[in-house]
Formats: sequence, C-alpha cells, structure tokens
Amino acid sequence: MKINSNNPEKKGRNKKCGEIVLTFASLALVLAACGSSSTASSNPPSASATSGNLTWWASPIAQVGIRADLISNFEKAYPKIHVTLQSAPTNTDTNRSQLVTEISGGSTSPDVFMGDVIWPAQFGAHGLAVPLSKYLPSSYFTKFAPGLVSGATYNGQVYGSPLFEDQGFLYYRKDLLAKANLPVPTTWSQLESESLTLEHDGLVQYGYVWEGASYEGLTCNFMEYLASAGGTVTNSTYTKANLTSPSAVKAVTFMRSLVTSGASPAAVTTFQEPQAMAVFDSGNAAFLRNWDYAWSNSQTPADSKVVGEVGVAPLPTFTGNSYPGYSNIGGWNLYINPHSKNLAIDLTFIKWMSSTAAQDILGKTYSEIPTVESVRLALASLSSTPPPLKIAAQTKLVPRPAGTPNYPALSSAIYSNVNSALSGSTSVNAALASAQSKAATALAGGI
Amino acid sequence: MAVVANELPKVRRSPTNTKIKRDTHSKRLARIGWAFSTPALLFVALVTIFPIGFSLALSLSNVSVTGNGFSLQGFTFSNYYELLNSSTWRYAMEFTVFYTIATVLVELILGTAIALILERLTKGRGPMMALLLLPWSMITVISAELWQYIYEGTYGVLQSMFSAVGLGSPVFLGSPTPAVVSMMVADIWKTTPFVAVIVVAGLVMLPSEVFEAAAVDGASSWTTFWRITFPLLRPTIAIAVLFRILQAFGLFDLPFVLTGGGPGTSTTSLALLSYKVMFQNIDYGPGAAVAVSATLLVIVGSLLFLRVFKAQVGKEELQ
Amino acid sequence: MSYRTRTSWHKWINPLNLAVLAVVLFIVLPIYWLVISSFKTPVNVGSFPPQYFPNPVSFANYGSAFSHYGFGKYFVNSLTVTVLSTGLVLVIGSLAGYALARLPMRGKAPLLVTLLVISVFPEIAVVSPLYLLMNQIGWLNTYQALIVPYTAFNLPFAIWIMRNYFLGIPKEMEETSRIDGASAIRTYWSIILPQARPGIFTAGVFVFTACWTEFLMALTLDNSNGFRTIPVGIALFGSPNVVPYGTIFAASVIAVIPVGTLVFVFRKFVVSGLTAGAVKG
Repeated sequence: MKINSNNPEKKGRNKKCGEIVLTFASLALVLAACGSSSTASSNPPSASATSGNLTWWASPIAQVGIRADLISNFEKAYPKIHVTLQSAPTNTDTNRSQLVTEISGGSTSPDVFMGDVIWPAQFGAHGLAVPLSKYLPSSYFTKFAPGLVSGATYNGQVYGSPLFEDQGFLYYRKDLLAKANLPVPTTWSQLESESLTLEHDGLVQYGYVWEGASYEGLTCNFMEYLASAGGTVTNSTYTKANLTSPSAVKAVTFMRSLVTSGASPAAVTTFQEPQAMAVFDSGNAAFLRNWDYAWSNSQTPADSKVVGEVGVAPLPTFTGNSYPGYSNIGGWNLYINPHSKNLAIDLTFIKWMSSTAAQDILGKTYSEIPTVESVRLALASLSSTPPPLKIAAQTKLVPRPAGTPNYPALSSAIYSNVNSALSGSTSVNAALASAQSKAATALAGGI
Repeated sequence: MAVVANELPKVRRSPTNTKIKRDTHSKRLARIGWAFSTPALLFVALVTIFPIGFSLALSLSNVSVTGNGFSLQGFTFSNYYELLNSSTWRYAMEFTVFYTIATVLVELILGTAIALILERLTKGRGPMMALLLLPWSMITVISAELWQYIYEGTYGVLQSMFSAVGLGSPVFLGSPTPAVVSMMVADIWKTTPFVAVIVVAGLVMLPSEVFEAAAVDGASSWTTFWRITFPLLRPTIAIAVLFRILQAFGLFDLPFVLTGGGPGTSTTSLALLSYKVMFQNIDYGPGAAVAVSATLLVIVGSLLFLRVFKAQVGKEELQ
Repeated sequence: MSYRTRTSWHKWINPLNLAVLAVVLFIVLPIYWLVISSFKTPVNVGSFPPQYFPNPVSFANYGSAFSHYGFGKYFVNSLTVTVLSTGLVLVIGSLAGYALARLPMRGKAPLLVTLLVISVFPEIAVVSPLYLLMNQIGWLNTYQALIVPYTAFNLPFAIWIMRNYFLGIPKEMEETSRIDGASAIRTYWSIILPQARPGIFTAGVFVFTACWTEFLMALTLDNSNGFRTIPVGIALFGSPNVVPYGTIFAASVIAVIPVGTLVFVFRKFVVSGLTAGAVKG
C-alpha cells in the first residue's frame, strides 16, 4: 500500500525501471530456454543392472553409521556397483529445498534420494520423482506394511519405495507410575489426570511433553488427537477442508487444556522433538510423545538420566473409543531423480533396500521400524527387539493429509493456527476458523 | 535519485582557472575513473543480472516447475494480485517493516553510543574491537541456535535467571509479542557491532583539527557531539543504517531457526514467506513476487530514510 | 580521561566505565554460554537447572566435530573461499570505490543506486537461477562456484562503504599530482590507500564475515562432500530429530577463530587512528 501512495511522485523513474524489467525478463527467458534444453533422457532399465555408479542422497538417520552400513552391505551383494553417499541437511525443509533446486535445475545427481513420506504427491505432481510403479511390478509393492504404499501413491502411480517407517509412541516413566500406583494411561483424559497427580505429588516437574511448536511436527501431533476424535482434515478428494468440525474442536480444545491445566509445561508450544526429548531425558517429565528414535535415545547413558526407567505404549484415545488411539505415520521413502542416467541401477538399489537383508539391518541393528511386513512380524516375536518395534504392529495408524500437492501449505494452515490456539493468543474456535479459511486457500493452490 | 544525488560528496570546488583546461582535465580523469571501476562493475553485472532478471521474470509469469525445469508462460501480474489479496503476505509485510524500523533504530543509537565509548577508551580498544566483532562473525544459524538454547522454556538459562530474581518463568518464544521482542534482542546482539564498527572507522578518519578547535572554545562534549561529530559522521552513519535496513529487511535465518515463523505466524518475515512459498509449496511465481515486493519496499524505505535523516540533520545545523 | 595508577576502586565507577561494563556483559554473556555449553556432555546440555559451569568438563564435542563430522575439511574449504573472495572484493572494490568517490564521472548516482538494488535483492530469490547458471557452465561443486557470486554480491556493499571513507580523506593531497593513468594509480597506491586503511579494514572484515557465514548459496552451489563450507557442514550435524547443541557450539567456537585472528592482527589499523589526540565526540 505504501508503494502505491509513493508512486505518483516518481513516475519518470518507474518508466525507466519498466524498461529495465522487460530487458531482464527477455534475457532471462532466453537463458532459461537454454537451461531446459539440456534435460537428460534416462536410459530404459535393462534386465541385468549389476554394474555402474550411483549417488545416494540421504540425511543422517538417528543412529550413527546406518547409511554407511547399508551401502557396504549393498556393495557386498553387488560388487560392481559403487554407491556414493551424499549427506543431506538434517533439516527436512532445507533438504527438500535443495532437492527441488537441483532436480528442477536438471541435475543428474543424486540418482536416488531418501525423502519424507509426505513428499510423493508434491514430487509426483511436479515431476521431481520417477513413478516407480511404471518400472516395478505391482507384486513388489504388496510386501510392505498396510498404508505405506497408498501413502506413497499420487494419481495412481507409486513414487516412493518405503525404506523405514516411523510413528508416534507414548513413552512413560515406569518408576514414577509404580511409586504413585498408577496404570499406563489409555485415554487422553487419564493421561492428563495422571500427569497432574504426579506433579502434585512432587514426583516430577512436568507431566506430559510433546511437540507443539509452529512446525510440521505439530500437524503430526494434531492428527493423532483428530483421528481419536473421529475427524479428518479434508474430504477424500482434497477439495474441502473440515477443520471447524466438532472433532477438530474437541481435539484442539483438549490440546489447549493440557497447557492450561498444567499437565504440560507452557513451553510445550515451543517444543520440537529435541526439546521434548531433552526434558524427558533429564528426568523432568513423566510422559513423552515422540517417534521411534526416542527409545534408543532415552536408553543411552550419554544422552539420558532415565536409562532403565522408561516404558513404551501406543498413544491413548478419547474416552469411549477403543484403545489404542492413533499414531501418525512418519518415516522415509526412496525416490529416483527423473534425470538419473542409471535408472536400472537405481532400481536395483531400491529393490535391495526393501529386501529382507536390508530391512533386517535397519530393524535389528539400528531399531528402525522395517517397512516390509514379514520382517516386522518376525522381529516382533524376538525377545531382543526394542519395545517400540514390538508394539508397532499393534497400533492404529493415521497418515497426514499429504495426498495433495498442496500439502505443505495445508499443513502450515494447520500448525500455525493450532499453535496460536495452544499459546492462548487466539481462542480455539477462532484459530480453527482461520485454519479452515487458510486451508481452503491452500487446497486451491494459493499462499 | 535526487536524494542520493544529494548524498554525494560536497566536492570542495577549486577556484576556476580557464574553462577549457578544466574540461580536458576532467575528461581524462573521468576516463581513469571508468577504467578503475569497470572491473568491479562488470563483475557485478555478469553475475547478478541473470539471477535477478530471472526472478523478475518468474514473478511476472505463470510458472510451473517440472522435472524438466522452469516453464514460464505469458506476462501477468497475477502473482502480485495474489499477494495483495493474501492476509499472510500483508501480515509478513507489516511485520517486516515494523521489525526493521524497530531493530535498526535501537542499533543506530546503541551502535553509535558504543562507537563513542570505544573512541574515549584510553586502554583496551583492540580487544574491545575484537570482542565486538565476535557476535557479528558468528554464523547466523548458529547464533539463532544459541539464542534458542538461551530462551528455551524449561531448561533455558534466561528463564532460570528470571525466576532466580523473582520474575516468574516466562516462556520467551511462546506467545507473539515476547517472541518478537526476544528475536529482536538476539538480532540486536548480533548486528549492533556492525553499526558500531563502521562508525568507529568513520570517527577515526574525522579530521582532528575541528575537535581541537572545539576543545579550545570550551564546548561541552554533548554540544561537540551534536554540532560537530554527528554532522561529520552523518554520511558514515547513514551508510551503516542503510545497509542494516537492507539486511534487516531480508530477515530469514533467525526466524527460520529460532521460531520457525511462529508462534502462529507472528515472526514470519517476507523473506521467510518467500522461502516457504518457493521451496516448501514449490510455487515459484508467487514466491518470486514476494521477494520482488520486499525489494521494492526496502528501496522505497531506504530512499525515505536518506531523506528524513538528512532533514533532521539539517535542522541541527541551523541551531 | 586518563587514569592515574594510584586511584582507589570507587574512582573507577563513572558513567563511561559502567557503560563499558554493560556493553561487555551484553556481548559476553551469550558468548560465555556458547563456550561453556560446548564443554558440556549431551545429557547436561538439557539439564535443569542449567549448569553455569560445565561439570564434568568434556572435550567430546570437539572430538566428534572433527572426527565424526569431518569439520577440518569444511574449515579449509571455508577459508579458501572466504580469503579469495575477500581479496578480490577489496582489490577491485577499492579501485571502484575510489573512482566513485573522487573522479568526475557522469552517472555516479544511478550507478550507486543500481548497486544498492543488487545488494538488496533477497538471496532466496537468486539461488535457483544461480544454480541454473552454474549448472550450465559446469561450475557446480568447485571453489569458483562460491568465490564468483560471493565477490559479486559483496562488491556493492564494499564499494559503498569504501567510497564513503575515501570521501573523508582531505582532497588537497592528491589533486596536484594526478595527471595521467599511471600516476593516478601511483597516487591511489601511495597516498590514498594508506590513509584509507581503517575503511578498507572495516570493509574487509565485513566481507570476510559475510562470506564466512553464508549458508544458502553454499548449500545450493557446493553441495558435494568435498566442497562444503562450515555453515553447510554444520547443517549436517545430528539427525532430523536430534540437534546436538554441544557439537554445534564446539564447531562454532572454532569457526570464530579466523575472524578473531584477523581483527587481532590488523587492529592497529583502526586503533592507531584513534590516538590522534582530541576526543571526537
């Protein structure tokens, strides 16, 4: 608005600027045209792809050494294929922005990239990933645990091959519950009241810690309450948002009550995973909602003061629904760069990564949740398997509404407004009304 | 342009000899001038024209990103209309303008004060200079992580200091106003040294004779500052503030790490919005339009600043 | 404002010293927190109440920065890119700054404004096209992929600020001796440059830190394992859900050393001018 009021007195310059803009624009178009002509055409996959080079782009996985271990085992199985690991930034948004820049810029590297489970629709819609179902038989996709392949599908094509799964768990302090003679909570209100009891008894400083900051992780947390309350974010065709539904109100009202009752610290509205984890690890919280990695983290003496005192359970649900509640799906898929020169080798690599050998390494050695159903079930029956992996098969899963290419904007509409409601700067109803209108804009492709 | 032209040096005019002689002389000097500046100008032009022109083109067309690169279609202002109709953009714009004015104003005062203090010190200027530059030289992402660690709402050191002196347990980043203020403090900590160091170098290069004369006249240090130091320093301070305005307007790393743009969207700056629209939503047209809108705003702002700053100084000189 | 040695302690309490103390505390306390946290064990980083002094003192963060994350390589890359960019900016930027300050060229004002516009343009908007450009000419993952844009995007600021300091140098000194191109360079080299040292130092420090701390271009243009700079390298510390504050802070403590050294070595450029005598404010 300020620009407009100032414009009249600078007419002469505007004209000049206009000319410059046009010159720049035409120059840019010429260069852009040059740029896009260089697009690589991928070779059709050959039947026997057992030699060549491949670059794998992957951010660090929770425990040190997973990526290198997987690569060395793959190279043992395929001695003539050489894999170069390109380490990706740990921040998932930075990771994605880098990939988008490289792939839309026509880069032939990386060949295979490890990407978030919420990327398929967006990457598929923009042609930033190869539709795997064009090259792999449908039988390849039947071995994965239910829900994972449908989450990686957009417009009838599967874009990601599930590498390892993740989901929300309830971590609790066994010692504190025993002292206060309390059971593991199965409903949200029970979780809240037990938190308050433990705080009032002076056993612990904070009851329940989770991820409430204005970021993607809050959408994950919100989905768990929303699904428990029987709600969904949008209709099944992603044309209409349902964020003012009674279920959504119930979910956010309860989340806000965790903060107002004192069951969760006020600072939970600024928590991402590391902060929630740190409070729990230092022994200052009785309950924690976190992902699979939290188990090994809480059991590592260098990181944690609560080694041996921690139990894991599925998340609770709202009173009157059947236990357990819903856990949000996280985790990572493997995708192929459309400009990759080695599609056949890429496919060999991806296929090996979903083999029993690779999935065993992920599950047994590094406590990641395997995506292949048979491996997961076999692990669950072993006594040495870490608790989160054992109960992973029992939980109910809810995906984020990532079947639309506009998911990032949709998620932002959710987490920014829910966060406002949590911190009390807006009422629950006003926050959800705002989320609803921002979500409608997002679904229509606006900002 | 008029404003900037006024900012140009008041060249001390040498008494004119013969007109012709001066003309050939200045032509030769102009040639030397172009020879001196061509390498730099060429370098800047070669590297920056394409990226900036490309962004302008993105903001003015229907862009689709595909695996085959960017496709730009048509010439349209629709990306800009989308911004004007978006409450998110409007908030980001207002926030960025407010944030820039507030932080730069504090830095201007604090930075100049630090420079004057440094100048009066008889001992320890070297170490003080080095100390001043430490926050500035810190990688922004890391200083943001440091402040996040300091502000943390359960085990953060600042909260425990507050509660130790009976100020409760505030959650600094938990609600909009405290979060904005906390972010400003972190920014002021990091960037005030920029202003201070530029002003110190300006102070050093001021001619001493003027101040000796003032000292002989018995002027108080306050009068000396307002009547001599400040007017002489004005161009230097103007540059320090000008570049701080430009940097502050591009605010990105700090909210990206410290608050993620929250609570809600209360610390989402134009640059952060542009990043989110471009790279998270993969919506390059509107994203580039946000970036261009920020550039236009800050240019208008800088020119306005140069004019206002000059006017105030003019009044001081009239006293 | 000189201090005698035999003053009692309360003589030290005056507005100037209190102001110095306040400034020092505001700057130092966060740095203190950074440094001591880099010596904390991971579990103590999140301990409550916070440890005001690390107990036990651990060097593990420094060890893991170098051994586990290969910080040494990032350091060398950063130093290479930063030193070359800063040198280039100072050489060609000071020439331009001098010409724009002192020589009678037409169209200076539009030039300066254009430079300003260039330095304003958000980095976020230029990284994608820069990537296209660098990909086209095959410069991705090389040192020049960063040196060239760093130089270009820092030149406007450097020219503006050095021009300003050149303006402050008394004009009489060079006017008589300047006749032709060769002697203009001589004048510039032997008369102007020595006088402008504080200004050039200031510009140098700021360009150095700008290159040293730049993240987005470095991430986009030099993203292979061998060419990453410190800010990009640190972005690979930890994992998506784990922020290893201790290790990040340790790396950051080491990353501050070059700038600290630079200021320490060249401090007399700034400080010497301050001893001129009269108090200037």
